[in-house]
Amino acid sequence: MKKPQRRGPSPSVPIDTLAARGAEALQQERLKEAVELFKLVIRQEPRPEWKESLNEAYAGRARALAAKGMFKEAAMVLENTVAPDGTLREPLLYLKCLIREGQQPQQQKAAAHALLYAGNGRALPTTERTALEELAAALLVAVPQRPEPAGAAPGGRAQWLELAQAAREALAAWVNGAMGEEIDRLLNRISLRSAFRPLRLLLKTLTGGTQDAGRTKRLLETIPPGSPFFPLRQAVEAAVVGERVLDADGWARLTPQQQAFVAETRGLPAEAAQFLARSSEAARRGPGALFAFLLQQSGLPQADVRSACLNLLPQIPDRVQQFEKSFGPLSKVEQHRVQALAAEARGDWEKAERSWRAVAAAIAGEGGAQAKLSQGAIFRHLAKLAAEHPEIEGDGVADDTAVFYLERSREADPEHIPTVLELIGLYRKEFQDSDWHRVVDDAVQRFPDDSQVLLQATESAVARNAYKKAAGFARRLLKIDPINAAVRRQMIELQVAHARKQVRAKRPDLAAKELAGAAEWDRPDAPSAVLRIARGLVARQTGQEEQGEAWLREGVALAGGGVAGWFRAVLEAELMKSPGSARLRKELAHARETPPTKEAVMAIVAVLGQPEAAGNRKAVSGVLPGMYAWLLQAADFAWSPAEFETLAGALVRFEAFDLLQDYARAARRRDPADPALRFHQIVARSEGDADRLSMVETNDLEQLADAAADRQDFHTANRIRRFAFGNADAPFGRRRRGRPADLPDGFDIDDMDTDELLESMMDQMAGRAGDELRRLARDLGREGAVEHMIEEFRSGPLGRSMPRPMLRELCETVIAAALDDGRRGQGTAARSIPV
Amino acid sequence: MRDPFTVLGVDETAGDAEIRSRYLALVRDFPPDRAPDRFREYRAAYEALSDERKRLAAQLLRTNGAALARLSMAALGTAPAELSRATKRTVAALLAEGIMRTAAE
Repeated sequence: MKKPQRRGPSPSVPIDTLAARGAEALQQERLKEAVELFKLVIRQEPRPEWKESLNEAYAGRARALAAKGMFKEAAMVLENTVAPDGTLREPLLYLKCLIREGQQPQQQKAAAHALLYAGNGRALPTTERTALEELAAALLVAVPQRPEPAGAAPGGRAQWLELAQAAREALAAWVNGAMGEEIDRLLNRISLRSAFRPLRLLLKTLTGGTQDAGRTKRLLETIPPGSPFFPLRQAVEAAVVGERVLDADGWARLTPQQQAFVAETRGLPAEAAQFLARSSEAARRGPGALFAFLLQQSGLPQADVRSACLNLLPQIPDRVQQFEKSFGPLSKVEQHRVQALAAEARGDWEKAERSWRAVAAAIAGEGGAQAKLSQGAIFRHLAKLAAEHPEIEGDGVADDTAVFYLERSREADPEHIPTVLELIGLYRKEFQDSDWHRVVDDAVQRFPDDSQVLLQATESAVARNAYKKAAGFARRLLKIDPINAAVRRQMIELQVAHARKQVRAKRPDLAAKELAGAAEWDRPDAPSAVLRIARGLVARQTGQEEQGEAWLREGVALAGGGVAGWFRAVLEAELMKSPGSARLRKELAHARETPPTKEAVMAIVAVLGQPEAAGNRKAVSGVLPGMYAWLLQAADFAWSPAEFETLAGALVRFEAFDLLQDYARAARRRDPADPALRFHQIVARSEGDADRLSMVETNDLEQLADAAADRQDFHTANRIRRFAFGNADAPFGRRRRGRPADLPDGFDIDDMDTDELLESMMDQMAGRAGDELRRLARDLGREGAVEHMIEEFRSGPLGRSMPRPMLRELCETVIAAALDDGRRGQGTAARSIPV
Repeated sequence: MRDPFTVLGVDETAGDAEIRSRYLALVRDFPPDRAPDRFREYRAAYEALSDERKRLAAQLLRTNGAALARLSMAALGTAPAELSRATKRTVAALLAEGIMRTAAE
C-alpha cells in the first residue's frame, strides 16, 4: 500500500526560506508549525542553530501543554530535546511534569533525572538550579529506591549521591527508633550547605538536638513554604513545639498526614488519637454529629464536654432535651441564650429580641457588677440588631429602637464610653437636641478627661451658644490632645464667634483682642480663612486699613478665592454687621462675572453648612438672593448623588426653593428614574411645607418612603416621612414600630378606618359640637377653623400619631359636616357664615 | 470572624494578662511579615477579647469553640511527649505532599 503523502511545504522551497518561516513561526508562538519546519530543514541540513531553534520550539510547546495540565504529553515533547549526556532542555519543567503525572514509576524516573543535574547544573540560572536541587533532594529521600547512575558518576554527582545516601540512612534510622547518637552521626555527614539541609534540620529537631523552643522555631522557619520539605516542617513544628503552636485550631489546620505524624511522634494513646481524628471528622459532618460524638466521651473532663455541647445547641436547638438528659437542666440564662442565638441563626428577629431580653432579665437576677456589664453588652447587641432589622421593636413606644436599647445599655453600664458616643451621634443625627445635650452633660461629668467626650461637649455648648463654656471644654481637650487640628479649628471659630458679638456691640477693639487670641490656635500648615477675614474686617474698623486689607485678601484666597472667597467675606461682614459690606458686595459682584464651576458652588455650599451660617439665616438671606442668577448657571452640571444631596440640603435650609426646583428639574432630565430627585422636586414645589402637598405628591412620597425602607435605606425613608408626616415612624403599609405613650390601651389608628377615626374624633370633641365649630368658622373662616382644629388635635395623642394630610382631611370633613348641620338646622342663618 | 477564644487558644475564663501573653506568644511565632494572614486573625481575635466587656460579649453573644479546644488539648496532652517512631509511610507521604506542592508552583 502506498504511504499517504504528508502535507507540507513543497520540496522546491529553498531551505533558508523554510528556516526563515520556522523562525517566524517560533517568534509568533506557532510552535507546532515551528517544530515541523525545523524538523524538515534539519533533515536536509542539521545546522546547530536550527537544532537549537527546534529545541526551543519543543520547549515552548511543552510549556503550553503543561499549562493545560497535559503533563505526560509535555514530558514526552521535552524528551525530544535529549542531549547525548542525557540532559534535557527545561529540566525543571520536565521534572515537575514527571512528578505531577503522579505515577510511582515516574517519581522514580524523576529522581533519576534529577540526579543528572545534581551538582552539575551550573549551566542553569541560579533560581532554577536551586529549585531543581531542592526537588532532587526531596525526591532522592522520598523514593523507595535510590537511583543508581549509569557508569561512573562525575565528581559533583558522586558527592550528591553520598549526601542522598546519608539523608536516607538518617531518616531510616530515626524511623526505626535508632539512638540519638547514631542518628547524629549520620546527620553530621550531611553538609549544611547542601539541598539536604532541611532534612538534617528536621531530624535534629525530632531527636531533640535543640532544646530552646524559640530557637527551634526560628531554625524551622528557615524552611520556606515553597520548599518540598515544608509539609514535613509544619508537622515537626506541631509535634515538637506543639505547646505554642498547636491547639484545636492549630490541629484543624494540619493536613491528615500531618495530624497522623503528630499523633505518632507524640506517642498519643490510641483513644486520644482516635478522639482527635473522630472529632475532626464529626465536625466536618456537622454540629449534630459532633454533638452526638461528644456525648459519648465519658473519659474526658465532663465540664468541658458539657460546655462544648452547650455551644453547639444554638445550631441544633432540637437537642436541648438530649442535652438536659445528659447534663441536667439548663439555667434560665443558658436556656434563653440558646434560644436567642438559634433565633438569630434562622433570622427570627422578633424571637431573638424576646430571648435576649429574657437573658438580660435573668442575668439581672444574678446581681453584681459583671451582671450589669453583661446586660449592657446584650442591650448594645439589640441596638445593633435594631439598626439592621425593623422587626426589633424595643418597648413599642420609642421612636427609634436602636436609641431605646442604647439608652438601656447606658443605664446598665454607664461607664461604657462607645455607647455614650454612639447615642450622642444618633441624637444629633435625628435632631433630638434636648436628648443630645442631656447625654453630653452627663457624659462630661462622668468622663471629664476623655477627648472624644470633651469634643462632643464643646460642640454641644456651641450649639447652645454657650461660647465661653465651649471654649473651656476645648481648652481642656487641647491639654489632653495638643495637636488636635479639629479642636484648634473649633477654638478659632469660637473666638471668632465671640468677636462678632463684640463688633455688633460696637467694641471692635475688644474684638481685635479676641481675634489676636484666636490666632494663637492657628497653625501655619492649616491657616484659617475665617480668622483672616474676620481680622481683616475688624482691623479696618480700628483704622488699620493696610493690615486689614492684607488679612482680608489672604482670607478670601484661603476660602477658595473668586466668588466662593468673596461670598465668605460678605457673609462675615453681614454676621458682624460690619460697615464695609457694600464694598465687599462690589467685589463679589465682580467675581460673579466668572461663570460658576462645580468646585466654586460646592465651596459656597460648604460655607452655608457652617454653624455660623446655619445659625444666622437672616444674614445669609441677605446675601443669597444676589447669588441666584450665578448659581442658576450651575443647575445643569452633572452633580453626583452625594453632591446633589449636599446642595439640596443647603438650598432647603435657606429656603431657596426656586433654585432647588431648577436644580431638581435639570437633574431629573438626566436621571428621571432617581426617586431622590422626585423627593427634592416635591419639597421644592411645596416650598418645604407638608401642608401644601397635593394628594398625588403625598402618595408619591408614601411610595418613595416604602421603597427606601424596602431596600433597607431607613435614613431616606425616615427623612421622607419626617418631611411629609412629621413622624419618622408613620405607617405606610408597614406595621408601626412605636405608638405614643399616652394613647389609650387598645387604641391603634392602623386598625381603624376613616369612619372610625372620624367617630373617635367627634368623641374627643364632646361638648364642642356643631355650634362651637360654626362659631370657630365664623370667627376664623373655614380654612382658619381647619388650621385651628389641626393644631388642637396635634396637641393630643391621637393627632400626634396621625399623618398631617390625613388629619387635615378629617378636620375639613368635620368642619364641613358642622357647617352642613348648621345650614339644615338653622336655615338661612348658616348661609351668612363667611366660608 | 472565627471564635476568638479558639483562635487564640484560650479559655473563656482567661483574664487580660493571660490573653495578652498568649497573643504575644502567637505573634512571636507568626509575625506579620512572615504570616500576615495569621497575624491579622490573631490581632482581630485579640481585639475582640482585649477587655472585660468585649470578653463578656463574646461569651454571651456568639458560640465559641474554646471548650472543644480544651478537649482536644486534653487529648493531645500539653507537654511534648517522648518521641516515638513515626511510620515510614507518614513521612514519605509528607515528603510526597511537599514535592507535589513544590512541583505545582
